[in-house]
Amino acid sequence: MADRRLSDPAGDELRRAESIDFRFDGRPHTGVGGDTIASALVADGLDILSRSFKYHRPRGVLCAAGRCPNCLVQVNGEPNVRACVTPVVPAMVVRSQNAWPSLGLDLLSLTDRFDRFFPIGFYYKTFIRPRRFWPLYEAVLRRIAGLGRVDITARPDLHPRKRHLHADVAVVGGGPAGCLAALEAAGAGARVVLVDDGTRLGGHLRMRSREVTGDARLAGLPGVDAARRLAALVAAEPRIEHLAGATAIGIYDDGLVGITQGSTFVRLRAGRIVLAAGAAERPALFHANDRPGIMLASGILRLIHLHGVRPGRRAIVVTDDDHGWRQATELIAAGIEVAAIVDTRSVVPEIAEAATVRAAGSEMLPGATVLAAQGRSRVTGLRIRGGDGVERVIAADLVAMATRPEPVVTLAAQAGLSLAFEERLAEWIPVAGSADVVVTGHMTGLTDDELIAAGAVLSGRLAAGRDGAGAAHAHHAEQVAAAFAVLPDPAPTVLPAGRKPFVCLCEDVTAKELVQGVAEGFDSLETLKRYSTVTMGPCQGKQCHGNAARVTAAIRGVSRTTTGLTTYRPPFQPVPLAVIAGPHLHPVRRTALHDRHEAAGATWMDMGDWKRPLHYGDIEAECRAVHERVGLIDVSTLGKLDVRGRDAGEFLDWLHPNRFSDLKVGRIRYRAMTDDAGIILDDGTVARLGDDRYFVTTGTGSLDAVDGWLRWWLAASDRRVDVTNVTARFAAMNLAGPRARDVLAGLTDVDVSPDGLRYLDAREGLVAGVPAVILRIGFVGELAYELHAPADQAVHLWDALITAGAGVGIRPFGVEAQRILRLEKQHAIVGQDTDALSDPRGASMGWLVKADRPDFIGRDALAALAERGPRDVLTGFEMIGTAVPAEGAAVVRDGRPIGRVTSSKWSTTLGKAIGLAWLPAEDVVEDGQITVRLGTGREGSTALAVVRTAPFYDPEGTRVRS
Amino acid sequence: MIGPLRRWRVMRPQQRKSSYDVVIVGGGVHGLAIAYELARRGVRDVAVLEKQYIGAGGSGRNTAIIRSNYRTPEGVAFYDESVRIYEGLAVELGFNVLFSQHGHLTLAHTDAAVAGLRVRAEVNQLQGVDSVVIDRDEIRKIAPALDLSDHPRYPIHAALFHPPGGIIRHDAVVWGYARRAQEMGVHIHQGVEVTAIDLADGRIAGVQTTDGPIRAGTVVNATAGWASTIAAMAGVRLPIVTHPLQALVTEPLKPFLDPVLVSATLHVYVSQTDRGELVIGAEIDPYASYSHRSTLAFMETSAAHVLELLPSVAGVRVLRQWAGICDMTPDFSPIIGPVPDVPGFILDVGWGTYGFKAGPVAGRRVAELIATGTTPPVLAPFSIERFATGSLIGEKAAAAVSH
Repeated sequence: MADRRLSDPAGDELRRAESIDFRFDGRPHTGVGGDTIASALVADGLDILSRSFKYHRPRGVLCAAGRCPNCLVQVNGEPNVRACVTPVVPAMVVRSQNAWPSLGLDLLSLTDRFDRFFPIGFYYKTFIRPRRFWPLYEAVLRRIAGLGRVDITARPDLHPRKRHLHADVAVVGGGPAGCLAALEAAGAGARVVLVDDGTRLGGHLRMRSREVTGDARLAGLPGVDAARRLAALVAAEPRIEHLAGATAIGIYDDGLVGITQGSTFVRLRAGRIVLAAGAAERPALFHANDRPGIMLASGILRLIHLHGVRPGRRAIVVTDDDHGWRQATELIAAGIEVAAIVDTRSVVPEIAEAATVRAAGSEMLPGATVLAAQGRSRVTGLRIRGGDGVERVIAADLVAMATRPEPVVTLAAQAGLSLAFEERLAEWIPVAGSADVVVTGHMTGLTDDELIAAGAVLSGRLAAGRDGAGAAHAHHAEQVAAAFAVLPDPAPTVLPAGRKPFVCLCEDVTAKELVQGVAEGFDSLETLKRYSTVTMGPCQGKQCHGNAARVTAAIRGVSRTTTGLTTYRPPFQPVPLAVIAGPHLHPVRRTALHDRHEAAGATWMDMGDWKRPLHYGDIEAECRAVHERVGLIDVSTLGKLDVRGRDAGEFLDWLHPNRFSDLKVGRIRYRAMTDDAGIILDDGTVARLGDDRYFVTTGTGSLDAVDGWLRWWLAASDRRVDVTNVTARFAAMNLAGPRARDVLAGLTDVDVSPDGLRYLDAREGLVAGVPAVILRIGFVGELAYELHAPADQAVHLWDALITAGAGVGIRPFGVEAQRILRLEKQHAIVGQDTDALSDPRGASMGWLVKADRPDFIGRDALAALAERGPRDVLTGFEMIGTAVPAEGAAVVRDGRPIGRVTSSKWSTTLGKAIGLAWLPAEDVVEDGQITVRLGTGREGSTALAVVRTAPFYDPEGTRVRS
Repeated sequence: MIGPLRRWRVMRPQQRKSSYDVVIVGGGVHGLAIAYELARRGVRDVAVLEKQYIGAGGSGRNTAIIRSNYRTPEGVAFYDESVRIYEGLAVELGFNVLFSQHGHLTLAHTDAAVAGLRVRAEVNQLQGVDSVVIDRDEIRKIAPALDLSDHPRYPIHAALFHPPGGIIRHDAVVWGYARRAQEMGVHIHQGVEVTAIDLADGRIAGVQTTDGPIRAGTVVNATAGWASTIAAMAGVRLPIVTHPLQALVTEPLKPFLDPVLVSATLHVYVSQTDRGELVIGAEIDPYASYSHRSTLAFMETSAAHVLELLPSVAGVRVLRQWAGICDMTPDFSPIIGPVPDVPGFILDVGWGTYGFKAGPVAGRRVAELIATGTTPPVLAPFSIERFATGSLIGEKAAAAVSH
């Protein structure tokens, strides 16, 4: 059917020399460069591109603008691709969706015959009894649900990118209004980003042969030429960045516009936004209005003008407005025979286009009603009732629905503009608010070239902040109101006749079903939407929202303002998850010593964003080295904050239940931070390195939270404190074991003798020539030094320590050994042994709370907790027997959970299984027996354990202080 | 008559009276379930006042996940009763609520998370709730679409599998309760907003509304995100902060994902409805607000996180995003029961991000409380007095993103 392909000048986007072979449902097809999948298939003679959601009815191209569900296809495995806006490329494999066995013969279309068994909400009324059968029914429902298919083994790479743009003015919509506004704003000095979903600028002018009036730059040009003129003017304006093929999908707070452009997602921050999103035709409502060949008039013109495809030869135009007559002349100009024009209004309008239509020999049928479409897999004509009441059939292979275009208000509503019902247009129009978001063009309800051009220029000026623009714009608004006031009465909304006038094509909802929904009590559009799913399908209401609102008002016999509209939600067009997500950026953090660990044979573990050595192959040997000689562990992942300033000490006092302002310079104190409910947030240490200077460490995973917490409190205070996150600046390592001092002493000028550097002392000095902070603290129960040194010199320091320790048998140790060693000391790990309900007293850190001082975060809660006493307490335990319970295992009594194990390990040093557990306070008695679960299930096996409230290893702490 | 051909009337307008025994503020699942259960107990002089339309708030905005694999014995007992009511709800209400029990998988990406799951499995199992920690091979059988390789940034180590968990058609629950409640004589007034609460001698005397005053000896606050504003009308200050919670939905796809997936590490949960859409949610927004605006950041991060779990859905399109508001308490547990200082004022609030799951049990027990005047044992741990005595419930650790 090559006769569907038109020759030049039709097909503005085509590169005819380029031939493109692709497959659709296994059959070969050929398109040309610039074709969309749909235009190539229609040119090849196909009418049916998909099957509908519920009734599996045949559907063909409707809008040709990516705004309806009719051409959703599967492309190279990607589901729900809009064939009408997706360029066809060589070797593309396209498949139809939701049809079995084929598009032409879909067995599930039987549902269409038995539709009375599937009214809206039928599933709420059925499959209720017997209850045990519901899973079977549901399995069937799930089998027939959905549209596209996901290949769960595929790993599609859409190569997404993100761009961040900033503009003084964002203009959304590249039709005449958007272009003129952008040019005006740029001319006034503003940097403009112009967002348009067309491949070229011009909007509807690209599908218009009629001459443009109004603006001097365009007046007298046929629409298609005016579009080219606009594109050239924009291209010549250096202050405009034109994003072609780009769709604004949402307008968010503070001028943030989300834009998709192919696989690129653009985040545009704009000072001001001009919306020129245009207006769109909607389907007319009559029986079987969804037959292939029944299209929006604009869809037909898009196929012709952009892709050089004529989807039919003999058309009937259906309208309720002068717009239909203008579209009829466009169809005639494009070589389509217009057999008839059916206008629901009772008289032929007195406009020039009516004369053109008459001259072309088209039958003019004012006051007529379309009753039904004829034909099954393709429309063959319309049954109409004429103004004289006589019913007849008019033959046609194309129906052009050219109802009054509805302003596309979605983005305006998202931007926070309210919508007002304009009675003269019977349309909802955005109400201009501040100059931050300006609306212009067709979306204001205007259709007149001159007023649109004048308004667009003023909008551009307003958005650019030109003096006096506000007053001029207000004056323009008065002119618009005056123009609306003299309009004839709009066509009334009547309920369509027939069994299947589809309001919602995505979900197959007919007007008749909406009648039933209202009768069943869903009389507001919001509840009717949820009950019928109208507006909730892939078109997001673009084709059905306005019609649903009209029909609901007509059913109830109330005004359109009574039924209102539903909320417009982003995104304006569906966006692939991968495009929204952007490039996969999930960084792995490696410490400065990563390569050293790798060389030493580390087994890695994730800790937050970091990689840490879990062990180096022999955990027992690592523990033994620390206890008997010396070990070295990389603790660079600790959060490190430099807190300094006049009020630094007082600020830390305010943040913690214990005090730091009285800490002596050169001393260290343990810290645990609580929130205002007295819950432990994080722990670490504070070293005072100077009068106004503190070095604070945090847990690996809690750094961001703690850093944010400090800044949160500083933001609302006049304290003079600077907090700097120096985590990445410093590497850190802990040298631990009875020989640690011997190793360190040979490398540093700092006096590390027992009296020179006591337990909890901090010094700054050179270690192996590297400037370091030496903290005499440890987590593993032995003499230990934590060394913080510039990350870029960390490898040298590590190597020097390993070399110096070689003689005494130094060994690097990993997180697993550290966890065993600290458990031997009953040192809790915040986040593992505590949770979001752990307070310091319960976590056996009550000694930390110094409540007798001015206010601090959590003081009241901690005072109340102190008065009440803890309900549950964290305590040590050792197993009777060798079994090691899982971390997380329940502590039970009489088959009920009374507590839980938070840490448990086998300690070779001690020769027993030890752990920490939360128990009711009354059960925390030295030597008390508890029952710990080992198995799973309700009757899991258990084992006995004994409560141990003191550290298992070196309970007096002499080794750490030695 | 054959089921689908049956005509019914789910909602009918009613003439408002000037006085009711019980006024329930809030026409969501909680308010309507309370009304229905009161009517079942013979308390039928009841009005539900809804400022918009029934189900307009959290009940129509949540991600409809039902489960009982909580962490504390109190929570497990409570939600287990709710799951059981949900299982029989379609039959009970004569309204198919499309409860899809394909199981619920809470994924652990770290050792610490595995231990956290084990804590929950232990408490669940000991209370007879089907819940077990499973390894990758078992996860693969239940959710073959999950990326269980070592390729993701945070590979999945294990999961808590809770077979009775699943998703439900949330609107159907709301409509089903409303329909039966009205049939039994309850009044439901939509578009009526409460503007003040009247007290007499410190007791509840009625409410002022945009449709005039209504006398009532008992007023129930079931307004979720607005709970603290309604309570303030009675002079009651609640330990509640309201945060937005967002969600998004994709285009419908042929079903390929049966269980609900939850990842606390990635702050995301995803399920596939019987219509084929993927419903995706996250944790609450970090700021306090009553705003229902959607944010781009939410859509971007949620999409990225879902792709970590389900890389094959890269080309699947987001159709819609929306927001609701959640009444968060310090311990992530609700506040239910009378207010000692204001006789006649009953709270069913603090439902945070987990209110929908609990609608049926809260309705049943709050109705019992109103009808009998005594607090059922299952509600006792959730009294407002716990904030004075410091006896907080330990659900926070399990509830944060655990939908």
